[in-house]
Amino acid sequence: MNSRFPNRILPYVLLSPSIVVVIVFLIIPTAQSIYTSFFRVSPFGDRRFFVGFENFSRLFESSAYLHSLIITLIFAALVVFIGLSLGTVIAVLLNQKLRGLSFYRTFFIWTYAISPAIAGTIWALMFNPSSGPIVYIIRSITGIGINWMTDRTIALVVVVIAASWKMLGYNIIFYLAGLQAIPEELLESASIDGASSVKKFFRITLPLLSPTTFFLLIMNMLYAFFDVFGLIDIMTKGGPGNATELLVYKLYRDGFLAMNTGFASAQSVVLFVFVAILTILQFKYTERKVFYG
Amino acid sequence: MKRFLVVLVVLLSVISLSKTTITFWHAMSGRNLAAVDNIVKAFNESQNEVEVVAQFTGSYAETLTKAIAAYRTGTHPNIVQVYEVGLQTMLDSGAILPVYQLAEPGFDWGDVVKPILNYYAVDGQLYSMPFNSSTAILYYNKDIFEAAGLDPSKPPSTFNEILEYGKKIVASGASQGGISFGWPAWVFEQMHATHAQFYANNENGRKAKASEVLFNAAFGQRVFVEWMKWAQEKVFVYGGREYSANTAFLTGQVAMLIQSTSSVGSIQATASFRVGTSFLPRLPEYPRGNSVIGGATIWVLKGKPEAENKAVWEFLKYVMRPDVSKQWHQSTGYFPSSNTTVKLLMDEGWFADQPNHLTAFLQILSGADIPPAQGVRLGNFVAIRDVVDSAVEKAVQYRGTDYEKEAKRILDEAAKEANNILKEYIQLYGK
Repeated sequence: MNSRFPNRILPYVLLSPSIVVVIVFLIIPTAQSIYTSFFRVSPFGDRRFFVGFENFSRLFESSAYLHSLIITLIFAALVVFIGLSLGTVIAVLLNQKLRGLSFYRTFFIWTYAISPAIAGTIWALMFNPSSGPIVYIIRSITGIGINWMTDRTIALVVVVIAASWKMLGYNIIFYLAGLQAIPEELLESASIDGASSVKKFFRITLPLLSPTTFFLLIMNMLYAFFDVFGLIDIMTKGGPGNATELLVYKLYRDGFLAMNTGFASAQSVVLFVFVAILTILQFKYTERKVFYG
Repeated sequence: MKRFLVVLVVLLSVISLSKTTITFWHAMSGRNLAAVDNIVKAFNESQNEVEVVAQFTGSYAETLTKAIAAYRTGTHPNIVQVYEVGLQTMLDSGAILPVYQLAEPGFDWGDVVKPILNYYAVDGQLYSMPFNSSTAILYYNKDIFEAAGLDPSKPPSTFNEILEYGKKIVASGASQGGISFGWPAWVFEQMHATHAQFYANNENGRKAKASEVLFNAAFGQRVFVEWMKWAQEKVFVYGGREYSANTAFLTGQVAMLIQSTSSVGSIQATASFRVGTSFLPRLPEYPRGNSVIGGATIWVLKGKPEAENKAVWEFLKYVMRPDVSKQWHQSTGYFPSSNTTVKLLMDEGWFADQPNHLTAFLQILSGADIPPAQGVRLGNFVAIRDVVDSAVEKAVQYRGTDYEKEAKRILDEAAKEANNILKEYIQLYGK
């Protein structure tokens, strides 16, 4: 094979920094978690003994874990659905020629630049049962005071709203880029053929956006599974009564609060396998429907 | 310029060589953070051998987690503030230097206030230095009481009165809610202690390691049933864990609050209404116990040079000094740790001017000095408290009418989880 690199070693040398980073920060910790998942470890790490698959069997016997799994699936489904549908709609609106467009765009996109801690604080304040403006508005309109600290459903809804909002900017950027890559001629010829704008959207725009949607589907799912720790920690700490205890948060609680490192490692291994399977399935089945133009 | 820098570096290193630097990780935020910084600053200025560097490392749980992680990598601080539920974990850790061993012979441990000594001493010895000790008391908003037609000088003293007053307050529209709690699971522990009930077997884990919790027994169920009823009557407003319920109290959304005495300072400084305090409400049909100590102590971690350990002791001794302890109490609301300090405060007329600071003292000194009220010691209590917090949250959401059954179900489930945690702890460390 005719390589563009005459030197056979140079490519590896150039790659080595990233390989080192991947090994040190990803592969070694993963291997360590898998190893630790077979042990029971004392908080200070001075005592440990081998327990085989006990951490795993305990995991699947635990009703708290199964509850957390169900909550996570509901949460992820909602966040992905809201994120993608709202993202598409807003991106289409922002793709029009409006006065002050860059202003709107910035304001829709900046949510992604906010750290989870700040996003969590903002939403926690807005929904604060005693002084939050949203609670106040709802109370003045409907007369019902909502308290997400004592209501499981409201707590989950509020966390879903915050998490979707946080990811919205990211989704909009990619959809905007996707929209701008759609050739004008296609839409124009459709207009000439008499297609309504709704029809154009569903028949042309949406299918042509499918590569973006597929990419965002996976990114949003990874986000909903792994990246929402900060939001949950700031807003609900998994409460009230485990109502928002997603898998990542449960892992943190068991690993860092209860200091049960072995059990938490087992959870991280299961979470990893679980998300890997979901991703593979998506690549296998959803990608068939993706139209790369 | 270069020469100047070299000289500077040399000078600095000479200065730092002559001074022993020790690190102190703590979990005091807000007004209490400023109070810690003041103590550290005054200590550093009071002598020139030891330099204490204090660092705020997040909540109690976060501070403990960080200290443990740091210990495992050898980058731990000299001293760390650990909350009361970390007691058993720290005792078994093998990572600590007991302060009674660090102290100079003849140090007067007898001066430590009795309830604090009761709580933290193991076989009569203190393994960590008392620092911020508190207990739970009832706070109430006198203005709301008056607006609701209640006597502001007669706070409720029983569970029934809480419900009765709370209903009146809500019905009169003086406030949206009656009562809220900070640290819900801790309040549940307090309830056991004030009614002379054990929370766990082996005398609350003080005779031998506890292997079973008892909070799902008849008494715990009774307390849960009461709280569930309050919640359904809109008298109890759940305000979140730790200190988040303070907001509801300070904004007048609830008329009463059960919270740590460590909030006396900040509540008095922030409240725009007259604040009253009183003893914890009781169920009169149960025997009298005592409220129990909460808060944190300072632990000395192993693996540091001898000179640093000596410096640590100098600092710990300073913290116990009556004038320092007095200032700490006055700026935060935490108990002064020594009897000498209590006398000093009393002589100065502090308690006469500050009745709300007196409440906690009277409460803790007026109760019965019996084993159920001396504190609970559990393996991995941090995790167990988390389990109980969740149980309280589940209970106050209940909207049915079968209180007894639901309270039993929730508590049995929590007890099962807690017993598992205890079992694992014993597997690791032995009985």
